[in-house]
Amino acid sequence: MNIVEVQQVTKRYGDFTALDAVSLTVPQGCVFGLLGPNGAGKTTLIRILMRISCQDEGQVLFNGHPLSGEDVYDMGYLPEERGLYKKMKTGEQAIYLARLKGLSRDEAYTRLCEKFEQFGMMEWWNRPVEELSKGMQQKVQFITTILHKPSFLILDEPFSGFDPINANLLKEEVLKLKQEGTTIVLSTHNMASVEEICDHIALINRSRKILEGDIFEVKNRFKKNLFSVETSCCPDELVRLLQQQYQICSQKSGDYYTRFEVQIPETKTSNDLLGLFMQYGDIHSFNEILPTMNDIFIEQVEYANQQSSHEE
Amino acid sequence: MKNKTFLIISREYLTRIKKKSFIIITVLVPILLVAMIVLPVLLVSLSEQQQFSRILVVDESEIFINNFKDNANYSFSYRSGNIEQIKNEAFDQNYDVVLQILSNSQAMKSNIYYKKNLPSGLQSEVENQMDDIFFNQLLKDSLKIDPVKFEDMQRLAKSESVTIQIDENGVEKERDSTINQLFGMFCGLFLYFIIVIFASQVLRGVLEEKTNRIVEVLISSVRPMQLLVGKIVGIALVGLTQMAIWAVLSMTILVGLQFAAPNLFTPGTVEEMPAYSSTGGMLSESADLSVSPDNIFEMIQNYFPVSFGVIIFCFVFFFVVGYLIYSTLYAATGSVVDNESDSQQYTMPITIPLLLAIVFVPTISTNPDGALAFWLSMIPLTSPIAMMVRLPSGVHAWELALSMGLAVAFLVFCIWFAAKVYRVGIMTYGKKPSWRTIFRWLRET
Repeated sequence: MNIVEVQQVTKRYGDFTALDAVSLTVPQGCVFGLLGPNGAGKTTLIRILMRISCQDEGQVLFNGHPLSGEDVYDMGYLPEERGLYKKMKTGEQAIYLARLKGLSRDEAYTRLCEKFEQFGMMEWWNRPVEELSKGMQQKVQFITTILHKPSFLILDEPFSGFDPINANLLKEEVLKLKQEGTTIVLSTHNMASVEEICDHIALINRSRKILEGDIFEVKNRFKKNLFSVETSCCPDELVRLLQQQYQICSQKSGDYYTRFEVQIPETKTSNDLLGLFMQYGDIHSFNEILPTMNDIFIEQVEYANQQSSHEE
Repeated sequence: MKNKTFLIISREYLTRIKKKSFIIITVLVPILLVAMIVLPVLLVSLSEQQQFSRILVVDESEIFINNFKDNANYSFSYRSGNIEQIKNEAFDQNYDVVLQILSNSQAMKSNIYYKKNLPSGLQSEVENQMDDIFFNQLLKDSLKIDPVKFEDMQRLAKSESVTIQIDENGVEKERDSTINQLFGMFCGLFLYFIIVIFASQVLRGVLEEKTNRIVEVLISSVRPMQLLVGKIVGIALVGLTQMAIWAVLSMTILVGLQFAAPNLFTPGTVEEMPAYSSTGGMLSESADLSVSPDNIFEMIQNYFPVSFGVIIFCFVFFFVVGYLIYSTLYAATGSVVDNESDSQQYTMPITIPLLLAIVFVPTISTNPDGALAFWLSMIPLTSPIAMMVRLPSGVHAWELALSMGLAVAFLVFCIWFAAKVYRVGIMTYGKKPSWRTIFRWLRET
């Protein structure tokens, strides 16, 4: 079941095309990483999903039906550029924002107290927002984003501006929401957090989607048959054979071990490699090295840019 | 959906009402307003209740002896002899002032000696009486005319005129056009200030939401139009609340004063006021008029060609329409710029007509039926102010209706314009859009 389906969506601002026939699907209950370089069109896409702006062509389906105004109450959005009314009291403001999302005053109050308690912010309830630290303001904002328990949540760069402790708190909160069944779209440049919490990703570059899929599947798609092997001894014979049949990417020797990074050519399998090592000593570890999201991001974006410059 | 708009209205309204500055201004303005009305009356009545002065006259010319007239504030006694000696004794004998009239009768010269302070008005009182006495003396001695007869003749020769306006139904009413003009100017200027004050609050509000980026969160919950309507209506309600409190407070203070000092507004004192002196005719007709606020209204009612109810209705109408026109345009401005100083470039075309209206207020009020007054009260950007200036002097019903109709039609256009610009503007940062870009927004749906 897909909660959101974007079909051939195009958005133009004057002569500039911000989104060019972008299609992607967000499966229900996953954390979906929306990736792309600055200015690629991520925010434009998010704004279309939130019905802040409207696409010129194509359509967006939400739970199978075309996105409508009512759906917005089932969505939460934490924009990249965050702000609150500076002079308004924190608690009052949070209640106001929650009520705009359709909660009753009492409901908003009860849930807020709970969240404020959890984030240790109760004492700030009656202070104007301008007296809060930046991180604290971010927390307030995150709380107001999820307070109405949306089934679809968009977080644009949620980790920026947080210290490691609070970033972790936020990460746990995101994973908890996922467990509760919330679908989360995460737009970020922080690839480490993508690896950690995303299930699906889509990569947008220069207004076009260039990559989409399950994160494990994507990594496998771009794997280079690279294996890391740690063995107890390393006779010259082994090194010679490896050089002949495989390709050694790196070799590192310690007192009691040697570690190789070996790329397997298409004619061989990992079992062949393992068999070779087994003849020469004890194997401490043997595992495949999958490309990091960081590598894939850089490689794919550069590849796409080359392609498009060839076209021109 | 309606619920959301109401929520926004109540936030805009409550945050402004709770501000200290709002409370201070709301309380202060009526006090100042009443002070402006009451102080002149108070000053006049205070100067009348001045201390009693005893004056010792040392008349070396001998023309004035026993000719000064005692009245409520002054009593005159006469003595002759050495001025130095009299001066020394007089102040011990409870005289406040010693008046020495010098013997040289060519020019009536006199010295007024006093200790401590000279009661205000004493000098002019003395001079006036001396003029009269000397004039009578001249009549008697040089022209051989009996001063009493002369005074009778003078009274007979006095003319008095009353201005009377005949309205459309042929009903005649006594009028004083200066009061109408003053009142019209007051209404126009007052309307100008409140329109500018509250419309620019809308500008600042829109700008605040845009610069602190909360607008993106808000727009993901409500439609831009709801946000805009909520803000404009919320601030309008703040304005109306403030005016209602002003009206009630001013009335309360006036009534309170009436009880505290019942004599303050008696016709006698009112007549002394320069502004009312020309209405003397009317006041004397109803001499038993002890002015309670009801009677003030009756008085006003008698004096304006347009009923007071109509004026209040029009004032509220033109405030609402004028405010809506300017606030929607200001909101559109606030949405396209990133900071307040940039906004002036865009507000210029709309503030210039407003300033023109203000510049021409005196012209309109002195010639309320002239061509300039007519056209300014028809053009929607100036009409609220120009019409309010003209109204107390009387305006044809069709002119008023046309002016109101044009204003409302223009307002509809403004709402359409602002809605288009605002929706795109609030999400656009960085480069200030050119007029051409804004026109492109208008064409897009």
